[in-house]
Amino acid sequence: MTAATAAPERTAAREVPRRAARRRGRGARTGALAAVVVIGCFGLLPVYWLVATAFSPTGDVFAFPPHLVPRHVTLAHFDNLLHTPKLLRYLVNSVVVSLVTAALSVVVSAYCAYSFSKFRYRGRRSLMYLVLSSQMFPQALLLITIYLVFSATGLLNSYLALVLSFATFTLPLCIWMLKGFFDTIPDELIEAARVDGAPNRVIIHRIMMPVAAPGLVAAGLFAFIRGWNDFIFALTLAGPDRQTLPPGLVNTYVGEFQTAWPDLMAASLVTSLPVVIAFVVLQRHLVAGLASGAVKG
Amino acid sequence: MSPTLPSLSRRGVLGLLGAGALTVAGCAPSAGGSGGTKGVSDDGVKDFTFTGWSLNEAATKKPLADIVAGYEKSSGAHVRTVSYPYNDYLNQLLLQVRGGNVTGVAQCDGAWLATLKATGKLTDLGAIAKGAGYTDASLALGQVDGTQYGLPWTSGAIGMVGNQTLFDRAGIKAVPSTVDDFEAMLVSLKTLGNGIVPYAAMTKVDQLKDIIPWMWTFGSPVVDNGKVTVGDDGSVEAVTWYKKLYDRKLIAPALDRFDARALFGQGKVGVYEDAPVGRGAVVAAAKDKSIADHLTPFARPVQAKGDKPVAFAWGGVLVVLQGKGSGAAAKFARSVTADQATSAGYFVRTGNPPTTTRALADPKVTADRFVSDFGKRVTVTARTDPFWAYPQYAQIEQALATQVQAALTGKSTPKQAMADARAAMQKLVDG
Repeated sequence: MTAATAAPERTAAREVPRRAARRRGRGARTGALAAVVVIGCFGLLPVYWLVATAFSPTGDVFAFPPHLVPRHVTLAHFDNLLHTPKLLRYLVNSVVVSLVTAALSVVVSAYCAYSFSKFRYRGRRSLMYLVLSSQMFPQALLLITIYLVFSATGLLNSYLALVLSFATFTLPLCIWMLKGFFDTIPDELIEAARVDGAPNRVIIHRIMMPVAAPGLVAAGLFAFIRGWNDFIFALTLAGPDRQTLPPGLVNTYVGEFQTAWPDLMAASLVTSLPVVIAFVVLQRHLVAGLASGAVKG
Repeated sequence: MSPTLPSLSRRGVLGLLGAGALTVAGCAPSAGGSGGTKGVSDDGVKDFTFTGWSLNEAATKKPLADIVAGYEKSSGAHVRTVSYPYNDYLNQLLLQVRGGNVTGVAQCDGAWLATLKATGKLTDLGAIAKGAGYTDASLALGQVDGTQYGLPWTSGAIGMVGNQTLFDRAGIKAVPSTVDDFEAMLVSLKTLGNGIVPYAAMTKVDQLKDIIPWMWTFGSPVVDNGKVTVGDDGSVEAVTWYKKLYDRKLIAPALDRFDARALFGQGKVGVYEDAPVGRGAVVAAAKDKSIADHLTPFARPVQAKGDKPVAFAWGGVLVVLQGKGSGAAAKFARSVTADQATSAGYFVRTGNPPTTTRALADPKVTADRFVSDFGKRVTVTARTDPFWAYPQYAQIEQALATQVQAALTGKSTPKQAMADARAAMQKLVDG
């Protein structure tokens, strides 16, 4: 009797803390889920509002109190886009400038980062911080200087002006990002290649760069998005024929007296698709690249 | 996503850019005051550039393109157009002018003329303006220190506009003429409920300069011969009264003119302040487009019967920049602003009131009840913003607005806030 009843009691006694632990686990999971939902809503609500506004008739957009779900749906604002051919020009300019900026940033920063990471020479550390110091200046101050230099050299209103000016911001961060990535690649890999008689050129291009591909993609995406999003440099340096999407959209839809919000949202939705697609396709590399470069060792 | 400048907002960046551009303008050896002013000379060059913000805006783009095309056809000139968004326009124009990259004709807000003049690149258009028939008030809009730097393109005032439908529902028989009547009217509008804002006064710092006409109303000159008088009895009384409206929820917090227009269009505002051309934005935001027929402009109420009502002057001018083709650019500027058919036609399509007596008397203009009433009741009471004369006017008005907001939100008393405002503003005025 004693032995027979003691066993279930012990089992029951063990069950109580387990149930409590399970309850705690469920509570923690529910809490985490709620936090994710709240943060997700916080992040996605502006995107939802952009989409809802793009599909709402103009009169409904300004309804007060606002409607969370559009009461009427229209494609008129997207139809308006078809009658705004210059948006295509802005889009092409944005794609060209962002792609070239990304390519230039990746190529130049890859070599710089490799040098900073794998070679030891006098002034290396100072040079690294010098590169980073360009990030410390207010953008507007750099813009005025760049404007005057480009004006004197006849570079204004050209793609080159935009690419070079964007590179002033993308290069330092790409260099530091890729340096972190190269730091994670063991030096033994280089030494093994040297033992096999590979020259530096081969080591860099055939061994290191393929290993660093996720980092290069991450740096390239970062530079692309930086070029894609820029407003003030593009507005000031591009001129009417080379204007990119951000200043182009503002110039077209944001006026002295009113802003054509639904048209602006429709245009933003359509023109953001290339970046969204690029991000979705390359996000695996982006995450891997950023994560690998984040820790050393 | 942009990782640059995490500590600076876009507004901060643009402000810094503006300050930088002004500094570049001010420090450059060729920049100067009126000493460098030249008249327009015809150098035989027919082609020129037209820079503006209206060239790309939905409401004005097509009418302007037609005007430019018509001028090109009649004159044989080629007009190159360059556009920047309104909010960034001044900074961009300053940079371009200082960089020597822009000549020809440029659109300019009346508020920016002194700032642009500081570049030393504007031409004196006095001879061009002569005999064009501009009204005196609109001519004044294009003058700095007595020199005619701009040809007035559109001119009016920022005045009170009421919603007649709401007035009728609230049993308001006549628009108020005194501050007390006005306050009583706001209380009546408040009783309508349904979230109606009786008076959508500006309460965001960006546009709190709108308190200046109220300070005039309460007897403060605001600035007198370069001496800022904010902090005197009139200005303190005006802020105290404004705060009273704020505390009684007769005016709403954090409103700017964009918000006010949108809410007015939705029938949620009894009274707000705007230029006549703001009607377009109100109607665009309205579900019921017939609101255009219920806009009632009226003069700002006065403190005591017999006082003169006041309003802020508002308008835009065309300036001509020194350099190649300035003669041709000046002819274009005069044609756009003074040709009766052109300016009356532009008014019909955009709602921008013309600036010559002939165009103002044009049947196309006089047939517009709202603009006609606005002109008779509000524009005639307009006074130029006294700080427009200073290139740093935006910072001066920001200093005032910041302190008015401090008083509204209870962070400071009206008296202390205005004393602080005066100190900051005087420092800026003295340069």
